[in-house]
Amino acid sequence: MFLSNIPIDSIIGFDLKYVPGEFFSSLLVMLIIVVLSIIVGIKARRVNPLERPKGILNMAEMLVNFTDKQVYQMMGPRFSSFGGYVLPLGLYIVLSFMIGLIGFPTPFTYWGITLSLAICTFLWIHFTSMRYKHWSYFKRYVEPVFLFLPINLISMWSPVISLSFRLFGNALAGYCIMELLYSGLAVINESFEVTFSYAFIVTPFLHAYFDIFGGIIQMIIFTMLTMIFVAQEAPSDEERLEQQLA
Amino acid sequence: MEYIAIGLICLAIAVVGFAEGMATTKALESTGRNPDAASKIRTTLIVGCALVETCAIYSLVIAILLIFTKM
Repeated sequence: MFLSNIPIDSIIGFDLKYVPGEFFSSLLVMLIIVVLSIIVGIKARRVNPLERPKGILNMAEMLVNFTDKQVYQMMGPRFSSFGGYVLPLGLYIVLSFMIGLIGFPTPFTYWGITLSLAICTFLWIHFTSMRYKHWSYFKRYVEPVFLFLPINLISMWSPVISLSFRLFGNALAGYCIMELLYSGLAVINESFEVTFSYAFIVTPFLHAYFDIFGGIIQMIIFTMLTMIFVAQEAPSDEERLEQQLA
Repeated sequence: MEYIAIGLICLAIAVVGFAEGMATTKALESTGRNPDAASKIRTTLIVGCALVETCAIYSLVIAILLIFTKM
């Protein structure tokens, strides 16, 4: 056809069939979030603020209020705008787990995607530390004495590894167990020559556990750890007062 | 030989499961004693469980390294 005449592989420089399927489902999740955000943005601009919100706008308002409350509780008033990062992150994690329900591969079974999420948190931690501590940021590498420099340089990467492998391990475990179950059911059906269908009795509970429940739990843990890691980099209010008095 | 080592790594997961169960038990007990502090206890519990889970995650990393880099 017409599309096959376009040399798309020579345009982008590599063959598309070597790209893992997780990338496309990740892009699909991002597309869903962007389209929803644009719809909510257009509706929010046109609506009368004195009237009661309804439909998708009401949902969005509830989500934003909830996130802002959580962020304020966990991080204090100085990070009141951090909810703008936390809410899309949580939506992305939940939708990435749930997209396995409609047959796409879960993006988190590819380690590079969870690694990039963890690196975002890592950058947040270090830039927040630089912003509030200025030059004494570099003191963290030589604490408590200078001999600890190599240990500190290694332990700097521990949040990246633990955060990325937590998501990766959970998604991969769910994927492996579901694949084992499906192939096992296929073997049983072939060997006993079962003619009726019974998989819909067995699999939905496991799908609900691994894709929905597990996804929500992992979203809570990832966003909470991100908020705590970032919030502990800024000095608390008492320390700030002491610095001002000194 | 590597597969025996990979199986032995699962011992770490057993210990982590036990530790997380203990942490959750204590959190539930203290929530029952003082229901007003439930939200604070929940936050601390999630962070503590995440830190305990790090041990299991490191064992997962070692297992993956053993599987994919056979000597």
